[in-house]
Amino acid sequence: MSELLLAQALTKKFQSKTALHELNLSVRRSEVVCLLGANGAGKTTTINLFLGFLKPTTGAAYVDGLEVSSNLDEVRKKISYVPEQVSLYPSLTGLENLDYFVKLSGKRQPHESYLRELLGRVGLDQIVANNRVKSYSKGMRQKIGLAISLAKDAKALLLDEPLSGLDPSAANEFSNLLRGLADNGTAVLMATHDLFRAKEISDRIGIMKSGCLVQELSPDGMDQASLEEIYLEQMRNSDETSG
Amino acid sequence: MNISIIKKEFMELMRDGRAISLSAIVGLLLVLALSTGLSNERTKEQRIFQAKMADAEAFNAQGEKNPHSAAHFSRMAHKPIAPLSSFDPGVSSFLGQVIWLEAHYRNPAMFRAAEDAPELSRLENFSLAGVLTLVIPLLIILLGYGSISGEKERGTLRQLIGSGTSLQTLLLGKFIVISATLFFVLLITVSFSIVTSIVLLDEAAPSMSDLLMRGASLLSSYGLYVLILTAITLLVSTLVSESKTALLILLAVWAITVVALPRLSASIAEQVYPSPHSHEFWEATDASLEANRPDGASADYAAVEQRVIERAIGRSLEEGEAENLSINARGVRFEVSEVIDSETYNIAFAELFENYAKQRNLRRLLSIFSPTIALQHLSQAFSGTDINAHEHFSNEAERQRNDIVRMLNEEMMLNGSGGTSRYLAPAEFWETVPEFQYRQPSIGSTWRQSFPDFFILLFWGWIGLVALFLLGRTRAEF
Repeated sequence: MSELLLAQALTKKFQSKTALHELNLSVRRSEVVCLLGANGAGKTTTINLFLGFLKPTTGAAYVDGLEVSSNLDEVRKKISYVPEQVSLYPSLTGLENLDYFVKLSGKRQPHESYLRELLGRVGLDQIVANNRVKSYSKGMRQKIGLAISLAKDAKALLLDEPLSGLDPSAANEFSNLLRGLADNGTAVLMATHDLFRAKEISDRIGIMKSGCLVQELSPDGMDQASLEEIYLEQMRNSDETSG
Repeated sequence: MNISIIKKEFMELMRDGRAISLSAIVGLLLVLALSTGLSNERTKEQRIFQAKMADAEAFNAQGEKNPHSAAHFSRMAHKPIAPLSSFDPGVSSFLGQVIWLEAHYRNPAMFRAAEDAPELSRLENFSLAGVLTLVIPLLIILLGYGSISGEKERGTLRQLIGSGTSLQTLLLGKFIVISATLFFVLLITVSFSIVTSIVLLDEAAPSMSDLLMRGASLLSSYGLYVLILTAITLLVSTLVSESKTALLILLAVWAITVVALPRLSASIAEQVYPSPHSHEFWEATDASLEANRPDGASADYAAVEQRVIERAIGRSLEEGEAENLSINARGVRFEVSEVIDSETYNIAFAELFENYAKQRNLRRLLSIFSPTIALQHLSQAFSGTDINAHEHFSNEAERQRNDIVRMLNEEMMLNGSGGTSRYLAPAEFWETVPEFQYRQPSIGSTWRQSFPDFFILLFWGWIGLVALFLLGRTRAEF
């Protein structure tokens, strides 16, 4: 199977509310797929189902050919996750946080120079890395989160709105890093509201609304205005339907 | 992987100002409790020593005196300081420290420390065991209530699980850190108590190995208590989503199982198996004494009389020899009445202690709802300050009373046969009466009596760990 991430008729219901409805989606090696959509469209639910944080009501999610809910331990070795708010331990330094998460993800005793190299790759200042995380900005925490993912050297990277709240420069650095990871073979699935970044780094874009994937498109040769037009058109359809 | 969790948890603990302040307060409480215990035990030890010396001096300086008068004057049996009473004074303050070994009467222990103490001296109950029993659960709750719920609130739990760490691994790491921290506190406390006890060791104290075994037993019991409470704290922290909810639930559990239930269980036990009031006990015992005394002309009386005489002369009597023996009849009567009454006293006191045992068994049953009750039993038992230890002392003192009175009666029987009923024993005779050499019960016998309580703690521990293990395995959605 060439797809590293695969959703087949993936459905999740919370009591009577359907958060995700028969989603079919795949992300291949070296591919970046962005999910766009309003809040509550099902982007985070999709990511949570791939991570095994939620169990599907029907359908299945696969990571590198393994069905997620019945192979959690194996699956989690193959994926990395960067949430919207990277949560770290405020009384530990950036370096100590990185060390802790890296060790817990299965790496044995990472050398400090290796950790510093990772921090360098995500653009975090070496001096800042020795400060306690409680003094960090959101961008700095996101960089640590990405460094944790880099250290894991996972086959697939799942990101849940990692760019929100980052300044343009930090968002640009972050996007370049993601593109670089994908170019080195990682499958990247990112939920985002940022149409511009999505267009810049994606191989494919999925537009979601009300738990359904309503349109899949390739941004190649498409300008920013066209993408925005398509997205807004889908949202308007949604409003009309619900209205 | 667990080492990383343990290392990080300790690092966070050391950098947390609240944890350091908390440690300082607990340390201060423990030092206060230890110094209070040490000071109390030192005072008691000095009092016991002085009282024993004064008692021996007064008895030996009676000069020429009728042995039966001396039997009424008699001796005192002083209860020595229990092996680890500086750790847990248990019920010793409420049960009396001295028994008057008087002819005809089996007296109860007198001079209860709690009775003599003024109101402000209630600090005497401010013991290490009391502080640990109340404070250990609080410390565990404060260290652990946010263990998992805090990770959930911060969002780090999802990140850790997403990184491939299992909840089970995380729970195990946190379990080890909290238990190890509290076990360290226990180790320090029990070690200091053992050192204190060594300083206070007297001739009645158990051997050093017995003392160390008692310390190890206390550590095992309190250690199990720590494991149980840590498991409960982590279970609650995992099951709820907010730290403040976890804290509220755990404080309610603490108030019920640590504060309320142990006190309630004592009241329930007293209601179900009421202890007799002193006057009721003595009225009933007097009635039994009256009823059990055989008629002086009966065969039963004659049989006891023959046994008493044979024991005094050290051989069996020939048929009809008793009438011709040169022996003081008054002395024989005293000893016969002593032997007959002693059996009645033994039955009455056995029933009294049996009632205490029933109360303890009922509390044991209630410890299914609160491990603190089982821990209190174990703590007092291994410290040598429970009701069983007092029963042992009371029975040994009664044995000594029987020996002393018999010796004095036999002195009268064998040497006061010159016709006068007012025989005077020589002044040097009193020093031949043996001192009360009390040996406290061994750790082996304490374990035999305490195993049910230990089993209850083991059961609690097993349930807690299994529940935590299963929760770590089965909780899937975050």
